[in-house]
Amino acid sequence: MRRAPIGLILAGFGLTAAFCVVVLLGFGFSAPQGAGVERSPDVDRWIEVARQTGAVNVVSAIYLDARLFDTLLEVLVFAVAVLGVRFYLTARGRAEPVESIPESSVVRVAANILLPLILLVGIYITVHGHISPGGGFSGGVIAGSGLLLAAIALGTDAVAARFSRRLSDRLEWGALLGILLVAAVPILFGRAPLSNLLPAGIPGRIGSGGSILLYNGLIGLKVFIGSWVIVRHFVDHRGDI
Amino acid sequence: MTARLVLLALLPIIAGYALVQRRRLHAIIGMAVFSLLLASVFFLAHAPDVAITEAAIGAALVTFVYVLAIRKTGRLTVAASEAPNLLQREADRITGLEWEILERLAESMGLDLVANFVSHENVAGAVLRGDADIGAGGIVSADCSDRLLQTPEHLPTARFILTGPRADTRLAEATSFCGFTTDVVDAVRRRAPVSTCLDLARFLAVSRLNLEPYDVHRQDEPLSYTFLVSPSRTDLHWRLLSVLAWLRETGELDEIVRRHFP
Repeated sequence: MRRAPIGLILAGFGLTAAFCVVVLLGFGFSAPQGAGVERSPDVDRWIEVARQTGAVNVVSAIYLDARLFDTLLEVLVFAVAVLGVRFYLTARGRAEPVESIPESSVVRVAANILLPLILLVGIYITVHGHISPGGGFSGGVIAGSGLLLAAIALGTDAVAARFSRRLSDRLEWGALLGILLVAAVPILFGRAPLSNLLPAGIPGRIGSGGSILLYNGLIGLKVFIGSWVIVRHFVDHRGDI
Repeated sequence: MTARLVLLALLPIIAGYALVQRRRLHAIIGMAVFSLLLASVFFLAHAPDVAITEAAIGAALVTFVYVLAIRKTGRLTVAASEAPNLLQREADRITGLEWEILERLAESMGLDLVANFVSHENVAGAVLRGDADIGAGGIVSADCSDRLLQTPEHLPTARFILTGPRADTRLAEATSFCGFTTDVVDAVRRRAPVSTCLDLARFLAVSRLNLEPYDVHRQDEPLSYTFLVSPSRTDLHWRLLSVLAWLRETGELDEIVRRHFP
């Protein structure tokens, strides 16, 4: 195996060390410590925004309510990425599936035990986005990487057997359509688009936070199904992931 | 505060660890650990949302994508001792029974197969030193040290002790083959003194020449050919075993053997 050039390694070390020194000086020593945070005037405004939505997690109240427009475009970025993968892989034509030699039984049994747990954590993080840290993006990525793990360990065929091809295609676009619909529906009630339609509820409960839970669920579904669609297209058009 | 400083100080150490790894899988695991540490730093800096995203994407998703990528790239280096019909150079390509099996292995791992030809006694050393991933080429399992991983009997063989004419019959020394096959063939062609121990494949090649002046003695113990894998590469050893099992199950192994030893 070829060794990496020593100059490159030294340069990498130097850069990393310099970066860490800067971070240690700027971030480690002078970072605000809990109660002693110097509050910017905006903080109170954002906490007020979160209070109105009924979400305990201020971050999700900001990106799924006050700054929903930014988040919608971010979802579109992911949708376009999936579309790009589909477009360029479909242009390659279909490939014969490569017959893969199965992984060891240790890997397969572990993957079978881990997959449901990872999916559960993904779902939990998605639907609790307005209460605890996380949300649709990270929950969807966790569930999606669980699928990727299963595809590596069990073979893509075994995972594909559990997914309806048509349904996953429809859900992928259905979730995006759903997000846009939820964003547009307030117009029908004479309110500004993207505004929060559902009641705030009691903060801390699952059924609180207005539309945030709905957005989180749809975004999580979109990311999860999207990552599976990418894996499936790689298998269909290149033979293997 | 202390925890955060310790984690921050650990970051460049882990980054350096990932940077100097020779094996790509170790480097990827190093990067995953780096991401986890970074996620802890984010968490301690009161940014749990960022921490979750960093852990999910940096430690999990990116690691899986890298593992997928290295599964499909790289080289599989073979320390090869040339053996007729098992692993031999033919014009500008390599053919032979063992080479076909190794090609199947490389194909299943998505690697390019590369052969470095060495003399027979240097194969085990090359694998032990890590210069090659696999040792092959008419290696008889009884000759090998226990320090290397071997494959079970995929092909039976036998040992023939060839001595003559006027050569010192130092049979005690000739318990395994040394050097290059071509040297032995040349020596027999020139009727030069030879004292060596040949496995079945090499003996078959030599026996096409006139062996009259030589003394041939066949050893009766049942033996078989093997591949050598470094003890640190249990993953590769396991892959090789499953490829062999696969070939035997589908009957392809018999077909390959028939093609090379009709």
